[in-house]
Amino acid sequence: MKILVCLKQVPHQDARLDVNGDGTWIKEDGIKFEINSYDTYALEEALRIKDAGEAEVVVASIGPDRVTQALRTALGMGADRAVHVNDAACQGSDALGIAKTLAAIAKEESPDLILMGLMSDDGNASAVPPMVAELVGMPSATAVVATERSEGNIRVERELEGGAVEVVDVPTPCLLAVQSGLNQVRYASLKGIMAAKKKPLDVKTAADLGVADAVGTAGAKVKIEKIYQPLRGEGAEILSGSTDEIVSSLMNKIKELGLL
Amino acid sequence: MSILIVTEIQKGAIREASYELVAFAQKMGVEYASLVIGSGIDGLASEFGGKGGGKTFVADDASLENYNVDGYSAAIQAAVAASGASMVLISNTPSGWDVAPRVAAALDAGFVSDVFDYQDGNFVRRVFNGKLDAQVSSSGSATVVSVQPGAIAAFEGTTDGSTETVSVDTSGARARFVEIKLADAKGVDLSKAEVIVSGGRGVGDPEKFAEVIQPLADALGGAMGASRPVVDAGWLPHEYQVGSSGQVVTPKLYIACGISGAIQHLVGMKGSNFIVAINKDADAPIFEFAQLGVVGDLFEVVPALTAAIAAAKG
Repeated sequence: MKILVCLKQVPHQDARLDVNGDGTWIKEDGIKFEINSYDTYALEEALRIKDAGEAEVVVASIGPDRVTQALRTALGMGADRAVHVNDAACQGSDALGIAKTLAAIAKEESPDLILMGLMSDDGNASAVPPMVAELVGMPSATAVVATERSEGNIRVERELEGGAVEVVDVPTPCLLAVQSGLNQVRYASLKGIMAAKKKPLDVKTAADLGVADAVGTAGAKVKIEKIYQPLRGEGAEILSGSTDEIVSSLMNKIKELGLL
Repeated sequence: MSILIVTEIQKGAIREASYELVAFAQKMGVEYASLVIGSGIDGLASEFGGKGGGKTFVADDASLENYNVDGYSAAIQAAVAASGASMVLISNTPSGWDVAPRVAAALDAGFVSDVFDYQDGNFVRRVFNGKLDAQVSSSGSATVVSVQPGAIAAFEGTTDGSTETVSVDTSGARARFVEIKLADAKGVDLSKAEVIVSGGRGVGDPEKFAEVIQPLADALGGAMGASRPVVDAGWLPHEYQVGSSGQVVTPKLYIACGISGAIQHLVGMKGSNFIVAINKDADAPIFEFAQLGVVGDLFEVVPALTAAIAAAKG
């Protein structure tokens, strides 16, 4: 069995976000990056299947040199092989361009299962996974919070609103986009990190994958025109002063609300 | 350009979010038609047509009674072809986000997701978990747009409506609906609490919930809640989760400690009567929704507040 896990490297959730010079993205210089949180659950799910029997886990990611670190981390956690699309031409791709690139990798790899995170912590779009499934002709399910594998089928629970779930039978090969909290994600062990250095990491370009026309700003149908701090509206009255002064203000409010 | 509005049936009725799509299409000032998908839905479709939907396509098939991604994708594509629409509007709900990107890829269309407004010809959406907004444009022959439920007031008027059947071939459907399981009865019912003290990722570790957050909740005679990352990390069980996938709460007082304020959490608590946010990051989106904010260390402020309440009670 072969499992393809598609990862995105995103700014660390605690990174300070400043808008870049032309106002279309954030300044990436000097901030820390990490594997997209949703994707870590997808990787963990793949590694659990590998731990339970015979599976090869291939991780794929698109992005500049820094993405090597994310892929090495994934290899350190237990993935077997990595594919890195490192091509400046991919910068500014929209979701469909990214999906076409990942679909091209999927067609080369012919996995039995593709696992991805439901969305990314930067773009928050939940766009790419079902697109990849459509492009490679696989059935798909999103917001997966539980899985149960049997021959030729994965029974999944999809998260609905208010804590309800929808149970769906998805025949394999298929693509699942997993919700956060699906499992408890492992850390890479020191031994794993050492072993990861010897694992194969293929570097490809968009042209290698035959998707040069689909990627980059030239290939994008959807473009970010500007990015900015949200208009904060009224917002909170920020209490200042010493801890005692702050507590005293909060106490007044609690009394005013009739809660004390 | 014209729009196809894809409605959604929930508990036997067209859900509110579908009427919000009507308002969104009208805000864009573009001609639109609508689509109702399900089984035995002629009545719902003609009702929707008269209450904002206008010309309404009906994809009615026994195989469409429950949501399934392949059948719904086929229905939407058939209605796009029948209507000649170059834009699809769909709600960003669990079925919307499941099917919309598939439709976009099938149509080779741009996809703009979880939009909450339309300004200056651009779609407006949140990025970076609510920390920044983006204005996004789409070009090309077709675009699929998903709209955040609750972002825009629903259309409430009447329109001239008509219905037209669209035939759908669902024989190629692969993923199969089995059942819907409702949420288990809550061990922790936050809906009746007058005060909720919630903790987020900023609380740091599970023990701190017992040491810092729970005592303040107890002192105020309230309940403890949590944001999604806390539950995902296994620090607290799901029954404590406040948010779109947890409990929706409306206490008199909501105190958010170390919670940044991702959309999924805000949806669950923004109806609270009074919100206090304590967070070390001054840019945290939670401050947009709070009435009182403390930019500082929750481990200083919260225990001091707990002590002050205890002292006041004598």
